[in-house]
Amino acid sequence: MSTFRIVHYLNQFFGGLGGEEKADAAPTLRAGPIGPGVLLHDLCRGQAEVAATVTCGDNRMAEHPAETLRAVLDLVREAKPDLLVAGPAFGSGRYGLACAAVCSAARQELGVPAVTAMSPDNPGAESRGAHVIVAISGPTASTMKADLERLARLAVKIGRREPLGAADDEGYLPSGRRVNEFGTKTGAERMVEMLLRKVRGEPFASEVVVPAFEPVPPAPPVRDLSTATLAVVTTSGLVGAGNPGGVESWRATKWEKYDISGLSELSPDAFTCVHGGYDTRHIRANPNRAVPLDALRASEREGRIGRLHDVLYTTVGNVMPVLRASQFGREIAAELRSAGVEAAIFTAT
Amino acid sequence: MQLELLGFTVRDVRFGARTDLAGGVLTVDKDALASHLLEDPDLAEVRLAIARPGDSTRIIHILDAVEPRLKVKGGGDFPGFLSTPTPVGAGVTHRLEGVTVLVTGTLSGAADSQGLKESIVDMSGPAARYNPVSGNVNLVIEVAARPGASPVESAAASRKAALKAAVYLASPTRGLTPDRRESLALPPVDGALPRIGYVMPAMSEGELHTTFFYGRSVQSLPALVHPNEILDGALVSADYWIACHRSPTYLYQNEPVIRSLIARHGRDLEFAGVLLCRCLITSQDEKMRQASQTAKVARMLGIRGAVVTMSNGGHAYLDQMLICRELEQAGVATVLGVDEYSDADGSDFPLVTTVPEATAVVSMGNQEQIVDCPAVDTVLGGTAFLAGNSYEKAFGQAPGSALSVALRQIYCSTNQLGWSTLRGRAY
Repeated sequence: MSTFRIVHYLNQFFGGLGGEEKADAAPTLRAGPIGPGVLLHDLCRGQAEVAATVTCGDNRMAEHPAETLRAVLDLVREAKPDLLVAGPAFGSGRYGLACAAVCSAARQELGVPAVTAMSPDNPGAESRGAHVIVAISGPTASTMKADLERLARLAVKIGRREPLGAADDEGYLPSGRRVNEFGTKTGAERMVEMLLRKVRGEPFASEVVVPAFEPVPPAPPVRDLSTATLAVVTTSGLVGAGNPGGVESWRATKWEKYDISGLSELSPDAFTCVHGGYDTRHIRANPNRAVPLDALRASEREGRIGRLHDVLYTTVGNVMPVLRASQFGREIAAELRSAGVEAAIFTAT
Repeated sequence: MQLELLGFTVRDVRFGARTDLAGGVLTVDKDALASHLLEDPDLAEVRLAIARPGDSTRIIHILDAVEPRLKVKGGGDFPGFLSTPTPVGAGVTHRLEGVTVLVTGTLSGAADSQGLKESIVDMSGPAARYNPVSGNVNLVIEVAARPGASPVESAAASRKAALKAAVYLASPTRGLTPDRRESLALPPVDGALPRIGYVMPAMSEGELHTTFFYGRSVQSLPALVHPNEILDGALVSADYWIACHRSPTYLYQNEPVIRSLIARHGRDLEFAGVLLCRCLITSQDEKMRQASQTAKVARMLGIRGAVVTMSNGGHAYLDQMLICRELEQAGVATVLGVDEYSDADGSDFPLVTTVPEATAVVSMGNQEQIVDCPAVDTVLGGTAFLAGNSYEKAFGQAPGSALSVALRQIYCSTNQLGWSTLRGRAY
């Protein structure tokens, strides 16, 4: 394969324009490698050339992001890259954010693959878009040579459209995708080895890094239940008899709604349960065990709730992907809100 | 407690006129074994077949896998089932290496998710490496319970058949010279080595799905168990649920974490013992009681670190995470064994639930990865895929067809005890 063209993005400092006093520098395009680009070019060992360098001041990008990013992209496009490389930004927050933004835009708007490098705690690492590979670098330029070697290796692979190995092996930040592989040690051996390292206080790498989930703030209390319209939403897998909509018993891809106006209770002739994660016999015998329509109608009659909403929302909440569950939640919430529902009971299993 | 485990290598199993073991070939008198099993009045029918490594054979409807064993001295076979429920783990036990009894069948009358989920073993092709028995010669015993047997009675009859067959197959080793001798014990060690425990939540939910410890379901209070007991037949599986998670009796007899810890006892660590407890607990109070009692007992035993596995899915993750939290807060370091519930492309969040204390997690792989299983010449264990797996489109096909299925359907493929080298990695 012939040599491919890298366009390299640098800030004012690494681009040789100057320090903080040049942080407002406008985007410029220059031919060939500059600063760290010279070593990057050499480390690509003839498989890629750093054909051009775009430099821009960090403050200009931070303070006028839309117009500056547009100007940078125009210069990148003009330089006809096969691959955009940005940084390394090390621990510098403004520079890291700029590298992530330029890479994401190159990927999305120009369709050019992009790779950058920064330390894992750089805020730019968090802000990167999908498909932007971030090589891990040290927090300061003292590790420049090793960081550029890693970046060059990844740049060549990405530029040649070669598949990347696992994040740990290649030295990039996990992109969110996970892949099964056979290794050389059993899971049991790996557990015992990891435990010994942990007990001895030695460094160890968890095979799954636990992310922090976005907390869901509870809704404010209902001001007066006796005048409120109340809905029921259930993940119990309750569906119409015969499951006419074909809701899956596991990893459901759809939610359904049923008109329950005029019903005083849920009859086993009209409703069944298709959940694949628990013993559904008792609910199939009496669907009110999943959605207590009988008790809710009594509350309605007694005036404890204003009114029961006419529509029942259901799905199967069994091993549903988090992103899909969030989407279903948003869709159902939008319908409830537009129908003037003030509160909803969620019955799970 | 010292166990002499004597191994007899088996290279092939054949049916013949008389059951014996000679030159690494186990000959099985098919009729004699069948009538031995049919002495159980709850069993109506048994069919025997042999599946060898590399065969173009698929085995379905798997209920349990058992390694043939014979207790020669110091206790009985499979205590609580075939002998009195007194401790095993000492004395002399014979084992056949390279052979498994695979019992298959349907649990007649069982309703949907309280019944049996489909479970596949391919003996060759790309799916074979995902299960723990395709490298063995398998004696496949397809059983049918007597008409009218309840699901619990059907399961019990299949279990008894598997255990009896395992003893029957190992019986010819009596008086023979073993190929391999292992002496398993936990002698006193250098006090400077870290004391390590193994917290082993075994699945138990409802009347059908459970794990038997000396013939009774495991409980939600940690029981201190000598690892030899588990290797010697104290734990018997009644796990009929999601195939990839299954912990069959075979994996208890060859429990990989216990094996790994015993191998390092006296060298890198002091193996303090197994805390056997339960997962798939349905009550919040019971979950909390178990997690906090486990941490308390671990502290009383002076344990500095613990491997915490799990069995099955769903609530089992929560049980494991609560144990992790309580242990870590009590100052006991933990490593967790999990499998992943992501999407087929690995892009979804991989765990059901987590706690911030779960800083050391080992992954046995994503159960949603798709595996292609080519068409096979022979199907053993049943004649059609089980209904009740409506999410698995491949199960509408004939069971010998080429299939594209998630690892979820492959026997023990992502089992959290960690027998396999399969792992999920971040990309």
